[in-house]
Amino acid sequence: MATSLASGAGANRGAQVNVNSSDVPLRVLIIDDDPERIKLVEEGLAANAVVHTASRTHGRLLLDMISRIGPDVIIMDCNSPDRDTIESLRLVARSNPKPIVMFVEEEGGDRMQDAIDAGVSAYVIDGLMPRRVRPLIDTAIARFRHMDGLRSELQKTKDDLAARKVIERAKGLLMQHHGMTEDQAFSSMRKMSQQQGKPIKDVASNVITILEMLANKAGELPE
Amino acid sequence: MTAQTLNIGFAPLTDCASLVVARERGIFAQNGLDVSLRRFVSWAAMRDALGSGVIDAAHMLSPMVVASAARLGPFPGDFTTAFTMNLNGNAITVSNALHEEMQQRAPDLMEELPLTARALKRVIQQRQAKGGAPLTLAHVYPQSMHSYELRFWLAEAGIDPDRDLNLVVVPPSLTVDALSTGHIDGYCVGEPWNSAAVVGGLGRTLITSGEIWSNGPEKVLAVRKSWASDHHDTHLALIASLSEASKWLDDVANRQTAARMIAAPEYVNTAYDEIVSSLTGVGVQTGGHLRLKMPDFNVFHRYAANFPWRSHAKWILSQMVRWGEVPETVDVESVAENAFRPDIYCEAVKALDVACPVSDQKVEGAHQHAWLMETQSQPIACSADRFLDGKPFDPARFSDYVSGFDIRRGEDRLGESDRSQVADLGK
Repeated sequence: MATSLASGAGANRGAQVNVNSSDVPLRVLIIDDDPERIKLVEEGLAANAVVHTASRTHGRLLLDMISRIGPDVIIMDCNSPDRDTIESLRLVARSNPKPIVMFVEEEGGDRMQDAIDAGVSAYVIDGLMPRRVRPLIDTAIARFRHMDGLRSELQKTKDDLAARKVIERAKGLLMQHHGMTEDQAFSSMRKMSQQQGKPIKDVASNVITILEMLANKAGELPE
Repeated sequence: MTAQTLNIGFAPLTDCASLVVARERGIFAQNGLDVSLRRFVSWAAMRDALGSGVIDAAHMLSPMVVASAARLGPFPGDFTTAFTMNLNGNAITVSNALHEEMQQRAPDLMEELPLTARALKRVIQQRQAKGGAPLTLAHVYPQSMHSYELRFWLAEAGIDPDRDLNLVVVPPSLTVDALSTGHIDGYCVGEPWNSAAVVGGLGRTLITSGEIWSNGPEKVLAVRKSWASDHHDTHLALIASLSEASKWLDDVANRQTAARMIAAPEYVNTAYDEIVSSLTGVGVQTGGHLRLKMPDFNVFHRYAANFPWRSHAKWILSQMVRWGEVPETVDVESVAENAFRPDIYCEAVKALDVACPVSDQKVEGAHQHAWLMETQSQPIACSADRFLDGKPFDPARFSDYVSGFDIRRGEDRLGESDRSQVADLGK
């Protein structure tokens, strides 16, 4: 029996499949030493895709290959010894995370979905037919972008919130130590930010450092 | 009574020994367990199999359980352990070419024992001055003792592991190949892969993990937290079996028999010659010198080795914070309590003749030499727990320890997905 959690997951979450619109060929990297499966994926992608295969490329060479070809999607077996090398990609800030389509055996089933939800950009397929390859990959990429978008949005909200706290604190210190009004404190920091070409959050944290240092010297601890 | 069927995952490395011994010597069966051992060649695959219930327990890298408790990566909060399978057991090996370069640049520093990375630092400085290509060193998984030991060793000598060289993940079984073809210059792995390079004349082992942190925890028996509460008695029987197997294994007289057992095709599938020295500790080669006796290269039972110290979990967490994988605001107590369960361990070995420490933490690095730990029953003979840099780790002063390192990372080392995942920890 074939399981294809990827399409189910995409449909459940309303991920939009619109990656097919571009005419740029899709760059696919298959890390597999099963020639049957490689053939199957190649057949399924015959048009409009460039398929690279890595069956005897491991470790550093595999990482070099990934940065050289910049695949749009990586397809691999979940039990491949190269899994851990691919896994390490996630942890390096300078490398772009990639959508990964993974061949898994039937067992594991639904709970494998947890691994996906937890951030392994994996899409589970088994008993694949050539004509299903492209839709699966498209769904995988769409879902990956959707998750990635959610993540960056969440991160941005958090960063904004943190920045606002710093700015508020700096404003308070300026008002307390320099007798400024709230508006004056803010516009003085905005001016510094423009002059120094630094984000206002960085200016604010400098202000805090300096004013706290002065206050400590003067023997009065801030707050 | 029908035996309880269990599937346990293992990696083909020397330190899966207690699982193999418990099965081959019928210890599992005596404890009412029918265990199938399933081999994995990738840690991520084993993690997914454990998380998704394909296997019930796993021979897992101790930092993987801590990572789960710290909500880093997939299956956040799902894993726990109540049994440390072994202490020490890894080593750092470099290619013959790099070893020679170190000898030439710093013959004086190469005489050190244990061998620090100061000679390597000279090589790196020289290469940087000449505009040469940076060195590439490998380990086996981002959250592994191998990674933290390698980083600790490098940083102790003033080498920044993220800036002064490339660190890559290579599957253990392919490290020797990568070394011989020159694609990597060295690695930190478990056995038999250091001995394999040395025996094959392809590289030299510089230092063992026991010299970087004496008796640090290497592999643990990981289970799902939910499984541990639903199958409490089975969990206890499993721990009791492994405790007995580990005790047998720690007897020097049994190590050669054990080496033959685990070298078999269905387990590590390697030559007896490549596995035996890591088990007997005889003829382990480090720093280019042959050390005739290194009995603690792998510790399976003595020194209260199987006790999951919460201070061990906290030290691992300290390195995750140090290298920017987990934010400084992490709840250290909660991670240690969820990751390591000494209470379950003590319950499991109560009926056996195994003493339990009375506290679940200690200051790591406070003991330079062998010492005697008092318990409620008989005292336990313990060995050193020192670090290469000589600094002790007091689990009560976690933040001070982390901020005391000159070379460390902020959260900038994390990828986008992991950063947003761990951001919730700050709350």
